[in-house]
Amino acid sequence: MNNICLKSIDKDNPSSLATYETMGGYKVWRKILNGELSPEKILEELKIAGLRGRGGAGFPTGLKWSFMPRNQEGQKYVVCNSDEGEPGTCHDRDILRFNPHSVIEGMAIAGYVMNATVGYNYIRGEFMEPYYRCEEALKEAYDAGLLGTNIKGSKVCFDLYSHLGAGAYICGEETALLESLEGKKGQPRFKPPFPANVGLYGKPTTINNTESFASVPEILSRGGQWFADLGVPNSGGTKCFSVTGNVKNPSNFEIPMGTPFSDLLKLAGGLRKGRTLKGVIPGGSSTPVIPAAKAMKMTMDYDSIEKAGSMLGAGSVIVMDDTTCMVKALTRLAHFYYDESCGQCTPCREGTGWMYRVLKRIMDGQGKSEDLELLLSVQDKMLGNTICALADGAAMPVESFIRHFREEFEYYIKHGKSMVENDG
Amino acid sequence: MISDQAKKEIDIWVAKYPEGRQSSAVMQALTIVQKENGGSLTNELKQAVADYLEMPTISVEEVATFYENYNHKPVGKHVIRFCHNISCMLNGSDELISYLEEKLDVKTGEISKDRLVSVKRVECLGACVGAPMCQIGDQYYENLTKKRIDEILDGLK
Amino acid sequence: MMVDIEIEIDGKVVHGYPGESLISIADRQGIDIPRFCYHKKLSVAANCRMCLVDIEGNPTPQPACSTLSSAGMKVHTNNEKAKTAQKAVMEFLLINHPLDCPICDQGGECELQDVAMEYGSDISRFTEGKRIVDDKGIGALIQTDMTRCIHCTRCVRFGAEVAGIVEMGATGRGEDLKIEPFLSEGIQSELSGNMIDVCPVGALTSKPFRYEVRSWQMNSIQTIARHDLVGSNIFTQTHKNKVKRVVARDNESINETWISDRDRFSYQGLNSENRVLIPKIKVKGEWKDASWSDALDFATNGIKKNAKEGSQFGTLASKNATLEELFLLQKFTRGLGSDNLDYRLDTSNPFNAKVLESNISLTELETIDHALIVNSYLRLEQPMINHRIRKATLNGASVSTINAKAFNFNYRISQSVLTSPQNTVATLSGVLKALLDKSSQTLPGYLNSVTIDQTHIDIANALSNAKHPVVVLGEHVNGNKCSDQVAQLVANIAKASEAKTLNASLTGNAHSAERVNFKPDNGKNALQILSSDLTAFILFDIYPNFDCIESKNAIEHLSRDDAFVVVMNSFDDESVLSFANVILPIASFYETSGTHINVDNIAQSYSASVKSAGESKPGWKVIKVLADLLNLEGFDFTDSSQIADEALSLSPSFSEIEVPISNSEMPNVATVWQYTPYASDVVVRHASSLQQTRIGQMSEASVCKATAKLLKLSEGDLYNGIPVNINESVAEGCVFVHTHLPRQLGVI
Repeated sequence: MNNICLKSIDKDNPSSLATYETMGGYKVWRKILNGELSPEKILEELKIAGLRGRGGAGFPTGLKWSFMPRNQEGQKYVVCNSDEGEPGTCHDRDILRFNPHSVIEGMAIAGYVMNATVGYNYIRGEFMEPYYRCEEALKEAYDAGLLGTNIKGSKVCFDLYSHLGAGAYICGEETALLESLEGKKGQPRFKPPFPANVGLYGKPTTINNTESFASVPEILSRGGQWFADLGVPNSGGTKCFSVTGNVKNPSNFEIPMGTPFSDLLKLAGGLRKGRTLKGVIPGGSSTPVIPAAKAMKMTMDYDSIEKAGSMLGAGSVIVMDDTTCMVKALTRLAHFYYDESCGQCTPCREGTGWMYRVLKRIMDGQGKSEDLELLLSVQDKMLGNTICALADGAAMPVESFIRHFREEFEYYIKHGKSMVENDG
Repeated sequence: MISDQAKKEIDIWVAKYPEGRQSSAVMQALTIVQKENGGSLTNELKQAVADYLEMPTISVEEVATFYENYNHKPVGKHVIRFCHNISCMLNGSDELISYLEEKLDVKTGEISKDRLVSVKRVECLGACVGAPMCQIGDQYYENLTKKRIDEILDGLK
Repeated sequence: MMVDIEIEIDGKVVHGYPGESLISIADRQGIDIPRFCYHKKLSVAANCRMCLVDIEGNPTPQPACSTLSSAGMKVHTNNEKAKTAQKAVMEFLLINHPLDCPICDQGGECELQDVAMEYGSDISRFTEGKRIVDDKGIGALIQTDMTRCIHCTRCVRFGAEVAGIVEMGATGRGEDLKIEPFLSEGIQSELSGNMIDVCPVGALTSKPFRYEVRSWQMNSIQTIARHDLVGSNIFTQTHKNKVKRVVARDNESINETWISDRDRFSYQGLNSENRVLIPKIKVKGEWKDASWSDALDFATNGIKKNAKEGSQFGTLASKNATLEELFLLQKFTRGLGSDNLDYRLDTSNPFNAKVLESNISLTELETIDHALIVNSYLRLEQPMINHRIRKATLNGASVSTINAKAFNFNYRISQSVLTSPQNTVATLSGVLKALLDKSSQTLPGYLNSVTIDQTHIDIANALSNAKHPVVVLGEHVNGNKCSDQVAQLVANIAKASEAKTLNASLTGNAHSAERVNFKPDNGKNALQILSSDLTAFILFDIYPNFDCIESKNAIEHLSRDDAFVVVMNSFDDESVLSFANVILPIASFYETSGTHINVDNIAQSYSASVKSAGESKPGWKVIKVLADLLNLEGFDFTDSSQIADEALSLSPSFSEIEVPISNSEMPNVATVWQYTPYASDVVVRHASSLQQTRIGQMSEASVCKATAKLLKLSEGDLYNGIPVNINESVAEGCVFVHTHLPRQLGVI
């Protein structure tokens, strides 16, 4: 456990260059600077590793990098998405706090592979501690001559800057993030064109998540096959999971893909005394909830979770025990999407508020018998009809909560109060 | 309108972006002037930032009203931003927010009578393993309990 | 060459260009796809989601506006999947829309209403409270009802992309997203009214039109806007013989789909109380209402009596008169044996028009790569011409200026040379010399003593490095005593740099006046007519306080006891009453048929939209009757189109002459006097809403510190009645006046 991105977490002074280097850090970068590792070889290793984007969409990282027109003239950019904000997710924060050099090295390697000489690490505005750690790490890296122009005489150039957000969940969507980085409000761009062609400031750009970048140095150091073998087919390697909610020891765990959910639950100390599992949201608030029985049979990898009716997403496991009022939980999530919708697409702008208001009304004891069908219909009309996936993220919980816990909703509408005794 | 010190800080950010792309620094510029102004923005400040970064004022206004971290009305010296999203809710954030409101005699969104503190309910701050949690200034406070809240409040001056 | 690709829409094989959007192909084929945010002239936003269509192979419906066609694509715009998506979007659009159609001015011409008819449901499932948007108002021209806004952002994009001033924005987020400007001080763009046209709902409507009449009760008449050199195509919308509203009419080669605020809102002037409605004669110093026949007799008798010789007679006409009016009036004047006629009343030296032609079309202006703008605040003078240059700048063209003041353009000026009127000849000579030096050409003698500085070289370089440059000469030259030399130098610079030229110092319908040669061949020009001993005059729609460069002299001269002045005017004016002997009321804009010739030499004829006010009559008819009464020959017209035919058989009269460049004596301090665009002619001066705008309210005499000291002026003092503003954006040695107020002094 905690072998790659979180491997410094128990070390003294975990974020320092010295600690990073004692763990083999910048070995790959130095190899590149010595001309011993070609971009083609790196892409090949990443493909073998089966590393998939850790931000939620799960797009193969090597493939993404190969889309960049590396030989096209002009500036190109590498951007790290450290705008972690999916409710239930907080492992990137730990990577930034405890292992910032892995992100720096990963981004530098990406820059080298894609012939992009400038990188930005977009850190969410509230992450001040991670930001300061990253800034210290950047200073160390520059002081050690690992970044800049013509690095160690290699003709390789890479400048990296931290950028701070200011509070908008939507900026975790990669094109909204680019807009935000350009000093605009974070409204997602329609695609195509994709960022690899028209990205930051209109230049070819590749955006990856913090964990994806942080995984790269170790993969290249130990080989793609080594990484792939840690996981299961189609879900290579290890992955950080945040386990939160009704568990004894909420924490981040970097574990092999394919680990049974039940093992992960044990790692988090299991449920509190006398409680039983009700449901699990496996990949962050936007992914469908899975009822207990199904959850206990799934393993933590893309295919198994999909089979169970949800998505691995950002690896954010929200555990809900029998004290949880599912109406209240869904209302809270609906409020989140209502609050965070950027407002540009009609279905999301209007639909998130509509769903939240209906749920709020049910919570206020004003529910109507037709409300559940209405909610299901509204979420269905939002699904797939917008520029970005926020509307889908708002819709899927509504559908899955009602599907799996319909009797709780019906009870609330009928009685004006929660079915769960300890709540409401 | 913008102090020399603030301009210096803004310039550090401007230097990170390509020439002519100084508007990339607008979010930080707003953060900096907001901090200097005691935690909130005014039309004059937004205008000043627009002028300084050579942006249309309405574009600055769009940014200032889009992102959560800007305040458009005066706030307390300390803003307690309390997460109420799912992981925190599952760990009792609602109860703690009520406790906080009662103790400070202030509703969320309002400023305490001594203007020292205001409380804001916010969405996920990305520290869910430490739920329930809140943010005050740059600092995160995790695994909160009533006792811990008492201690934190006692430390606010 | 673009290669066609084939795609299939609703089972029909259609052709498109690679990379063309589906909606554009569908539009060309007449296949109807509902849309709100898409507008053919604006960037694609793809945010309303109304144009979702089903593309085979795609799991989810895709917006037709942002989806680019590729060969073999099979698109369904109205199968179940597409319809379901479109209906879903429609429901979302309507839940927070107030549906206050009965009191909405957009009712009957509302895109939301139209699409809702087809895609909406008649029952609302939304039972929560509807959103109410509090809005601050955005000025005198546009009425905001933002509760109706559907957030399509067309107005926002219009501002950023077309108007070039980012004024409206989308603030907030989620369902609090709000379309608004930063402050409520009013939108400032001279093209702002187009936001009304692009708004698909009743959120932005015409303020002067508010609650006037329902759209379906009006007649729409195709006509031409007469204020500027472009002749934008418009519809006048009338009700009970009043023009109630003006909207743009598409004409890609002239105004595309836009019109200036001046063209849109000036119609308000027609309904002003200040119109002349009845013929009037002055008997023993007293004004009396008269019948048409009495007034016409009075006029002809006066002319006969006071102008026994044709040379004692002079005619002045407004540059905004119609081609027909100008043609008849020159025929009338020449028929009386006089060659004293002119339309160039605002010009100190009326020769500039002769030496500089316009030889670039509006559409061609978009393709230039450098523009040198001389003596012009082009954005306000000729908004639609400026718009074409702005489009060129969006494609990378650069612009330099030689102006008395650094103006606020809606594109970047790469090189701005501040030059007072007295130094303009020297500056242009410097540029010309630098150009000729570059190509090692022999210099004409007058350039020998000219010194070149870096700014001249920079401009010369910009021109000579450009493949398609243009030089634009604007209105400010008219007040320059050496305007002919300035125009000559501009022509020479253009020749030396193989640049096209655009003469924007000729405004309004001046091209018609030039076509019919409404200026003397050997007789007296405007300044001479207004200063020599002529004894009979016709003034056609002229208001000397505004229109004449030496207004005080002009009025004094016309007030002489031995002068008999026949005035044909559409508006009342105190100063006119003081000198006129007879006033014949004539039809104003939209009240008469006529022809406008624009900068591309395109003659656009139009018919009257409404009957003329009161007893006033179309100018051409009045002139014809006067001619008949005086037994002049060749006035057998029964229809204005016959006049236009005869006038248009004349070829454009541009004749190249060479003005010698010399050292002329110039004042130490010169004044450039420019009216706001909303004071440029008598109709717009009476348009009350335009007068309330920031542009309309402008009244400022700008002067630099050094010149202020010389003139002993302080901030806020009055200079010829205009408040002084001391700033360094003005060239030394000049006062730049921008105002809506009339000239106060005789000579400036």
